Amino acid sequence: MEPNSASYVLGSCPTRPEPEETVLESLQFRDEIQRLMTVPPENASSFTALLELPATQAMQLLHSSPHSAGGGGDEHKAYSSSSSFTNGNLTFPSNKALIERAAKFSVYAAAADAEISPETSPVPSNSSANLDKVKTEPAETDSNPGSSNKTQTQKLAKRKEREKKGKESAKKSKNQSCEDAEKLPYVHVRARRGQATDSHSLAERARREKINARMKLLQELVPGCSKISGTALVLDEIINHVQSLQRQVELLSMRLAAVNPRIDCNFDSVFATEGGPLIDSNIPSMVSPLLWPENPFTGNRQNFQQPWNFDALQQPLWGREEENHTFITPENSLLSYDSSANSASLHSNQLKMEL
Amino acid sequence: MRHPSSLKQEFLKKWILGLQRCGFSSKKSTSIMERKKAIKLSADLAMASTRNGRTCWSRALIANASRDHESKILAEQILGPESQSLKKASSTVPPVICSRRIRSKKILKRSCSSHVRRVRKIALPQKVLSANSVAKRLVQKRTNILKSLVPGGEYMDDISLIEETLDYIAYLRAQVDVMRFVASATEVVNQNSD
Repeated sequence: MEPNSASYVLGSCPTRPEPEETVLESLQFRDEIQRLMTVPPENASSFTALLELPATQAMQLLHSSPHSAGGGGDEHKAYSSSSSFTNGNLTFPSNKALIERAAKFSVYAAAADAEISPETSPVPSNSSANLDKVKTEPAETDSNPGSSNKTQTQKLAKRKEREKKGKESAKKSKNQSCEDAEKLPYVHVRARRGQATDSHSLAERARREKINARMKLLQELVPGCSKISGTALVLDEIINHVQSLQRQVELLSMRLAAVNPRIDCNFDSVFATEGGPLIDSNIPSMVSPLLWPENPFTGNRQNFQQPWNFDALQQPLWGREEENHTFITPENSLLSYDSSANSASLHSNQLKMEL
Repeated sequence: MRHPSSLKQEFLKKWILGLQRCGFSSKKSTSIMERKKAIKLSADLAMASTRNGRTCWSRALIANASRDHESKILAEQILGPESQSLKKASSTVPPVICSRRIRSKKILKRSCSSHVRRVRKIALPQKVLSANSVAKRLVQKRTNILKSLVPGGEYMDDISLIEETLDYIAYLRAQVDVMRFVASATEVVNQNSD
């Protein structure tokens, strides 16, 4: 079975031989690889990074494959392109490595839940010839090939020097794998090449993955952060954003304090007026200078009276408060706000219009 | 994350409520700074109460507000009936438990490191090591700054700090939008009246 799948991996022949034993595996491969192919459009940069190719080169390889046939050709292209890349740039270490790779494929094919992550890791391991990812899976079916993988990878690790690029790709594939793995009940953890597999470093690595995932969320939230790479710069941007928001709050509260001689007076009038003219006039008024001169009390009193006259919709509501024309003392206005459930819905309606 | 416009509505309701309960009647001096403080405070408390004590920064805000005498009354009024439970939660949780957690983590680390034999790592070249340490120091510096910005951030570890920052940014944005709207609306109304 293993030599068959090894030849399948190389995929140099245009027509794919499908022995009966590996039919099921190849079907699973196809599904998984098609899923793989749909991943790049979403996060093309990470996928190409996993392949350790610059994006253009990856696209060239993908497109220039001589074997082009329908949907089945896609996975074939991926395999052939990756294997051709391997053939072109790196030397095959030994037959042992090939068999190990094939064994890994069979391991992953037999796994019940096929994630995207196990498939992404074979692809970079193809291209970078770093064949040492040990997956600590609880599945018993994979225990034997898994243990054989472990011993072989340990030998390889002792033999080879660590490539920095390989480490990065391992990190990135681990990122993705752990991000996907967080959804599962158990966590897949991979030991990086030459790194310890004791619980401390594993826990540290899990923690780092969590932090990176949340940093990505933050990056999406803060404008202009998605292009920046590197934690320190992203944190810089976040800090700037938070500081600017806080300063804006300060300025706005100053502005509000300046506009209103009294805190509670203008809110009724503000929400009584119609939404339309407010929206239009919002834009010029926002451009206007921050500090307004303080308005006299009489002006506000007029504000109070006017809106009530011309807003027919709200008259039944405001009618309840008509006894308190003159400036409503806080307790009374509080009661009126509290007692009327309509006011809450009214505000929410207006807010829906205006916000 | 919660729907932003519903968040804003809730925030606005509570904010107006708070401002009115603020006790700004003619007897108090209407200096601009006091008004600004009152506005900001009621806004902060309104937003914090919308989180219902689920996030650390909101609890820290409430705790800070409950500490001064002036703001304590306002905090009680704005928070309303759930104020008792919230105050209990906010007063005890952030400083005590988080510092306890940090201290216990340190003790655990120390005990583990003294007994566990360090697995030999492949030595990195010197440049890489120093670059790593420099990068770590930079990140550490910025994390400290962020901790000082987010209320209640000093007691949090990195992971929860980032989550809190996410929430806090969403809150600040909502607050800015609502305040800007109200400010411009009142200015327009005043303009129309003149």
